[in-house]
Amino acid sequence: MRRTLEWVGNTVKHAITRIKSPYVVTKRIGIAGLKLVNLACATHLFLEYVGTVSLMSGPSMLPTLASSGEVVVEDKLSLRLNPASLARGDLVVVRSPINPTLIVCKRVIGLPGDVVCVDPTGLKAPSTEHVIVPKGHIWLCGDNMLYSRDSRDYGPVPMALIRSKLVARIWPLKDSTIFRNPMRVLD
Amino acid sequence: MMPPQHRQASAWLKAVNLLKPSTTPGWRYVYWFPTVFVVSNYFYNLKIVSGRSMQPTLNPDASLWRDVGLFNRYAIHTKLDFNRDDIVALRSPEDPNRILVKRIVALAGDRVKTLPPYPNPEVVVPQGQAWIEGDEPFHSDDSNRFGPVPLSLIESRLVAVVWPPSRFGHQFQPTIVDKDISNPNKHSAYRLAMAELERQRWRTTRVAAAPRSSL
Repeated sequence: MRRTLEWVGNTVKHAITRIKSPYVVTKRIGIAGLKLVNLACATHLFLEYVGTVSLMSGPSMLPTLASSGEVVVEDKLSLRLNPASLARGDLVVVRSPINPTLIVCKRVIGLPGDVVCVDPTGLKAPSTEHVIVPKGHIWLCGDNMLYSRDSRDYGPVPMALIRSKLVARIWPLKDSTIFRNPMRVLD
Repeated sequence: MMPPQHRQASAWLKAVNLLKPSTTPGWRYVYWFPTVFVVSNYFYNLKIVSGRSMQPTLNPDASLWRDVGLFNRYAIHTKLDFNRDDIVALRSPEDPNRILVKRIVALAGDRVKTLPPYPNPEVVVPQGQAWIEGDEPFHSDDSNRFGPVPLSLIESRLVAVVWPPSRFGHQFQPTIVDKDISNPNKHSAYRLAMAELERQRWRTTRVAAAPRSSL
């Protein structure tokens, strides 16, 4: 009986000494919360500045990209470190110049100073019309010319709107590829 | 004399301790960098405004100090809240590394009377774009040179001047003019306010505003 009482007393004493003051507890929880926020921020920055994986949708890049259900890897770092590495034929992700909420994927057709044919298909402009791409701009076109809103509609796009370059498709697995630049120079 | 095994372990521990935020004083600040960066990138940040294109609103005199402004990124980036007469920071359409500070003169659908370098005397701002101008039209590379700019280029909105202290918290919307001209100490303030109002009137007379739709 006495030993039981002793045990209970010891346990209670032990428990009391283990209780932290509310100040310490709040501080600990607060710091842990801040660290969690910090970790989330770090993850976000990595996805925003180094690279990310994203789901593509929309028919404008057929047949290169299907109109739904494809996952691609975006490379955000290389264009940031070396803007000169942008080449004609690259697939880029840009913020739409006509709608700031929209992010679109297109192919680079012309770099600053190039003379491009506005629309070789003659759908949106006579196929004889040509323009010079101004300084700091690029000319973008979707692969599916019949169903794409691109530089043919809104003209050259400022380079500041480019977000990333597409590297590879990783889903669906059987179609996974690394996107190579298909541009060839004809003599 | 410590045994070699022990010495190796302590060197390893030292290396690990260097990576811990709690042990090295410099780390304590670097560790919180992501949070600071996200706040400045998505909420508020400070920018130094250089150049005279926004005179006399920003950098009004030829002092060595340049104005520092507090910019609100949240209103633009997240809420997409664009208004005429707002002073905004935007990426230059001609050079992606340059940031311009200009005033939004007209939004989509508005008809603007342009200033000299622009080829057409009047232009209707297309959907999703804005017409931006500096307050000092002779020293400004703005829409009169490169035409309307996409709203997606606009990054943040100027909230207040933080530096120099004499103009701390300067308001950019000249709505209230203190008409108490009996007090000679207020004469210069009155003149400045009237001049600002006059400039705003001149800006608005050049714009035929369309009813605001989305963006």
